[in-house]
Amino acid sequence: MSEIRPTEDLADLYENAPCGYVSLSPDARIVKVNRTLADWLGISAVQLLGRPIFELLSFGGRIAYETHLAPLLRLQGFVHEIALDLLRSDGTKIPVIANAAEKRGSAGQHHFTRLTLFKAVDRRTYERSLVEARVKAEAAARAEQDAATLREQFIAVLGHDLRNPLAAIAAGVRMLEEGEALSERGRLITREMGAGAARASALIDDVLDFARGRLGGGLPISPDRKQPLTPVLAQVVAEVRAIFPDRSIEEHFALEEPIYCDRARIGQLAQNLLSNAVTHGAPDIPIKVEAVTDESCFVFSVANGGEPIPAAAMAQLFQPFFRGAVRKSQHGLGLGLFIVSEIAKAHGGTMTVSSGEEETRFTFTMPLAAQ
Amino acid sequence: MVLTRNNVNVSGSGSRAMMFAHGFGCDQHMWGSVARAFEPDFRVVLFDHVGAGRSDLSAYDPAKYGSLEGYADDVVEIGNALGLTNAVFVGHSVSAMIGALATLKAPGMFADLVMVGPSPRYIDDEGYFGGFSRSQVEELLEFLAENHLGWSAAMAPAIMGNPDRPELGEALTNSFCNTDPDIAREFARVTFLSDNRADLPNIKARTLVLQCREDIIAPPSVGEYVHERISNSRFVMLNATGHCPNLSAPEEVTAAIRAFV
Repeated sequence: MSEIRPTEDLADLYENAPCGYVSLSPDARIVKVNRTLADWLGISAVQLLGRPIFELLSFGGRIAYETHLAPLLRLQGFVHEIALDLLRSDGTKIPVIANAAEKRGSAGQHHFTRLTLFKAVDRRTYERSLVEARVKAEAAARAEQDAATLREQFIAVLGHDLRNPLAAIAAGVRMLEEGEALSERGRLITREMGAGAARASALIDDVLDFARGRLGGGLPISPDRKQPLTPVLAQVVAEVRAIFPDRSIEEHFALEEPIYCDRARIGQLAQNLLSNAVTHGAPDIPIKVEAVTDESCFVFSVANGGEPIPAAAMAQLFQPFFRGAVRKSQHGLGLGLFIVSEIAKAHGGTMTVSSGEEETRFTFTMPLAAQ
Repeated sequence: MVLTRNNVNVSGSGSRAMMFAHGFGCDQHMWGSVARAFEPDFRVVLFDHVGAGRSDLSAYDPAKYGSLEGYADDVVEIGNALGLTNAVFVGHSVSAMIGALATLKAPGMFADLVMVGPSPRYIDDEGYFGGFSRSQVEELLEFLAENHLGWSAAMAPAIMGNPDRPELGEALTNSFCNTDPDIAREFARVTFLSDNRADLPNIKARTLVLQCREDIIAPPSVGEYVHERISNSRFVMLNATGHCPNLSAPEEVTAAIRAFV
């Protein structure tokens, strides 16, 4: 005994399809609608016939239908994946996704507009929450950025305003040292005070450079080729030597002068790199300072011996406020290398670093300007 | 510069020029068949507003396009670039008002103004029926936020016109009426919150108001309001229904414009 196989019934498929079907006349009135859609709307199919589709759409959908969908349908014959809200008889909304296509005659004349509608309550809720989340995230990012700018402006103002009282302290200390008869102990104290004021002043300079670099879209430089650079670099080496007489520094300068650069800033870069080499390098291995030019580039590098920089730290070296995790005792804000890289950038140059058992070398390479 | 910014296309021949401007929601394609009908006897000018079609999206300036004045300035700039005088301006929907503003900014550039489905103010006001409430405009903006209508960021270069990469253009889901979604929202806001009722009595151009039946965006009473306040104007009620007769009944629109000019 064989079972009778059910056959698919096209009329039933249309009426009870798991999606809504509606066909419109060219003036957007309903000419055919399936039972599924009528059931969703809570209005019988017979009552729906002849009514303009707009009566079933939320206002936004109505306007969009006229301004966007109708023109697109006329121009290209179809529109896909439109999110619409249908209005139920009780006024509640049914979120749907719709595809629409024009049924055209052989001469291209518009017979019907057919719409297929899928209920999409969860999907539309999800999409709406995504949109909301994006709006929130954008607002939060803007607020965060504003706060960061404010913070940096605050740093800049504070740093700037600290300069004057600090200058007064330094001047007072100098006057005491030069003009007053001090005891041995008094001289020791004023020397410490003077050194302290000088260090505080250097820190403030770093902070101001940092703030300028971050706020002004890069460190400002005023390059020219009026003077040679070699004496500036030699002066930096001489100063470091004077402070650390027991450290061995080997310099090699071979520059085709003049070099188009901001000499004070290049001096600052050299000073930062050399101080780092003194602080972090092995005391018994000489520090090498090299400055050379070839046809296209000016290259300045400082190398020291000792422990290599840990691989994990390499990537962050030039980030502001980065201090090597290994040593906690260092002074400073961790702005030195950030400022170095800003100076390099401002000159159209790059900073690179290589670190191994042999040596740790920081290299500044700058293209030489034409002419 | 101006001509690429607004993707200006000039065709046809004739002693007079006829410029067509698309409304909110589409681009110059919506004038296709009407514009072609005038090519034998007019110099036909088509363009996209900045943000729509293949205009230069990078030219979008929220301050300039924060009112219809900015769009009208573009129309005048295009007119100047092409040396238009005594021309015909045909504007659909919001561009009807944009064209009206352009006639005030540059007297002599457009002698005739055709306003298709115009509205000087969409939102109801005391003693004025515009057809919209403020909350309904909000609903429209919400719809636009949820429907990018085939737009994606990947399409931007194609829409801005990449002649060296034609495959981008072919990949578009909708090859017509593309609009950057963010700009579309702003354009919607500017359009549906505009109020240019006070400008109407100043319009001196010879004007034709073309009104559709059952237009939910610019109802017949609004078209009549425009006609009553522009002294030198004619009012024609079309048989076409909806808001886009240039697409649904191009022959009727063409005939009405031809009878007017």
